Amino acid sequence: MYDDILVPTDGSETAEAAVDQAVDLAEKYGATVHALYVVDVDATNLALGTEQVERVRRGDLDEMPEVKAKADEATGYVADAAAERGIAVEEHVTAGSPARAIRKFVEDNDVDLVVMGSHGRSGLSRVVLGSVAEKVLRRTRLPVLVVDVHGDHVE
Amino acid sequence: MSALFEASGLVAQSGLLPEGLDVSFKALPAVMVTAMLAVFLAIGYVFKVADTEGMWVAGRSIGNVENGMAIGANWMSAASYLGMAALIATSGFYGLSFVVGWSTGYFILLIFMAAQMRRFGKYTAPDFVGDRFNSDTARAIAAVTTFLIGFVYAIGQARGMGLVGLYIFGDIGIPGLTGYQSMVVLMMAITVGYLTLSGMLGATKNMAVQYVILIVAFLAGLYVVGFTNGYSTVLPHIEYGAMFSALASEFSEPFVTGGYYLWIATAFSLVVGTCGLPHVLVRFYTVESERTARWSTVWGLFFICLLYLSAPAFAAFGTDLYAENIGPVYETANSAGMTDAAGDVIVVLAAQLSNLPTWFVGLVAAGGIAAAIATTAGLFIAGSSAISHDIYANIINEDATQRQQVLVGRLSIIALGAITTLAALDPAAPIAALVSYAFSLAGAVLFPMFFLGLWWENTNRQGALAGMSTGLTIWAIPMVNEVVPAYGILGGVAGADGVISATLAQWLPAIGSALVAVPVVFGVTIAVSLVTAEPDLATKQLVRQCHSPKPMDRQQSAEDAVSGDD
Repeated sequence: MYDDILVPTDGSETAEAAVDQAVDLAEKYGATVHALYVVDVDATNLALGTEQVERVRRGDLDEMPEVKAKADEATGYVADAAAERGIAVEEHVTAGSPARAIRKFVEDNDVDLVVMGSHGRSGLSRVVLGSVAEKVLRRTRLPVLVVDVHGDHVE
Repeated sequence: MSALFEASGLVAQSGLLPEGLDVSFKALPAVMVTAMLAVFLAIGYVFKVADTEGMWVAGRSIGNVENGMAIGANWMSAASYLGMAALIATSGFYGLSFVVGWSTGYFILLIFMAAQMRRFGKYTAPDFVGDRFNSDTARAIAAVTTFLIGFVYAIGQARGMGLVGLYIFGDIGIPGLTGYQSMVVLMMAITVGYLTLSGMLGATKNMAVQYVILIVAFLAGLYVVGFTNGYSTVLPHIEYGAMFSALASEFSEPFVTGGYYLWIATAFSLVVGTCGLPHVLVRFYTVESERTARWSTVWGLFFICLLYLSAPAFAAFGTDLYAENIGPVYETANSAGMTDAAGDVIVVLAAQLSNLPTWFVGLVAAGGIAAAIATTAGLFIAGSSAISHDIYANIINEDATQRQQVLVGRLSIIALGAITTLAALDPAAPIAALVSYAFSLAGAVLFPMFFLGLWWENTNRQGALAGMSTGLTIWAIPMVNEVVPAYGILGGVAGADGVISATLAQWLPAIGSALVAVPVVFGVTIAVSLVTAEPDLATKQLVRQCHSPKPMDRQQSAEDAVSGDD
């Protein structure tokens, strides 16, 4: 049923909440887990400055060790969880706006299922940030499993 | 200073209205402003970061000329586009201290800092201070200074946009606000919207195109105004000299409007301020090599000078047209002369008074607004990165995710937009003066840290902290003395000319306080560094690294990263 499962991650607890479910599914179906970290261009612009976006654009990520370390740490978390259960895993890093980059990745690779966390934001931060999970849900035609970070306790 | 800006000092400015300017809504110029911003966004979007893997592979590199244009575009704000000609028009010879200061700054940058900054190569200006002096406190002071610089600098931009906006959009009449104030609110809303849109589209600025559009609008204005009025033909930059005998002595005679000391203080402040401005310095972190860093500076200076050598000619034409059509430019017995508000739009006014078609005047005006919006966007980004990267992600929450940084960054931009709008509703001085307050700050606090940090390895944390605090204090004193009373605070203790102490204003003018601050800050930093422990070896090596003659091999390390990542 599922051969390739995509787990987008930004290294947050929200994203990591989805990892267990993704790994569990991958184990059941013998699927490969793809961990994807998106270097958010908007975040780069606001936090590091426009010049740094040019650096990302030029591909000089090796000159941005902190950014790279964050990416490796985020995908590494997924990779470790998968490796523990002996599941095949691939780590990917790309740049762009998160929702669009995830959609692009899904289109370019044979992904069958997206498993991702959601923060369930409300109020001000909802208005300012929006929801990546919601955008992915609306813009891809794939099944998307959204794991609410606060949902664990309810089960 | 107070004498110089007398016209603006006390008169309530909420009703800022440039006399002679045709204030009404004009469709074609409005379309042009929108089109310019749309082009900036569209080009940024087309060249946006491709959402693909393989981004680790080195992509297109930016050459010297393009980088130079980027420096020019970053630099070209309402202060250069409108404010410089304005100050030359209203204060004559004194205005030249801006031409001299702002171009000389790039020489210092070229000789002492550009290539060294490239070798250091971090992200933001406070990154340098924090890493070089191993101190979160130093980083925080630098970040707060960066935020303050963005704020003060942007007030001048907002004033420029508000005044020129009157020509294009007329009085939009927000209830309770004057025409000028309504325009400031509208323009700042457009700026914040532009920033958000460019971030969401992944469309970062394409600076080279921006530069070309702006310089074309400015030079076209100059040439056409010069030609249609018979002032000049092919080289207005020199030909305007022939008008000197016809122009008032206030325009051409040295030190009539501003004294010798003030001239030197202003020019010095602008020179060191240029070398301490965060949004200028960070560009050197990212260029391809030290060689590119140096040559980009040279090209940047060339592109900036294209504008600067034109501004005095534009001012001369504008002054003459004003005298012919509106009235005496300088104060006489029965006339107050040209107001600062009219001065600030002299570039647009000159085109309008030449009876040029609306679309052409609109082009010149649109260029001024686009310059202001683009620079404000850059300043706000520098301010937001200071808060979201240097203070939030580096000090408050080291595990901050990108999303959290976006949230903090956007909130800082909204905050900056709000306080800038408020401060610009009733601005204390003309554009160029407002902007120079930011230069004094950058020169007094950041320049000594960068210069000593790069060139003297024994500069230590204690020295830096003492130096920066001293710089901030010396900058703040004349600001409170001269500028704060204009906002109604401490108005009671201020004299009739709006200044608390005239003697202090004469020797420590807000517009040129770096002349006093820089030597003092250097002295304090060096003295404190000498009497406290030397920095550790790692820090010294960091400094030596910045001067190593061995070229950095970007290409090779990029390839290593690629193979390591697969």
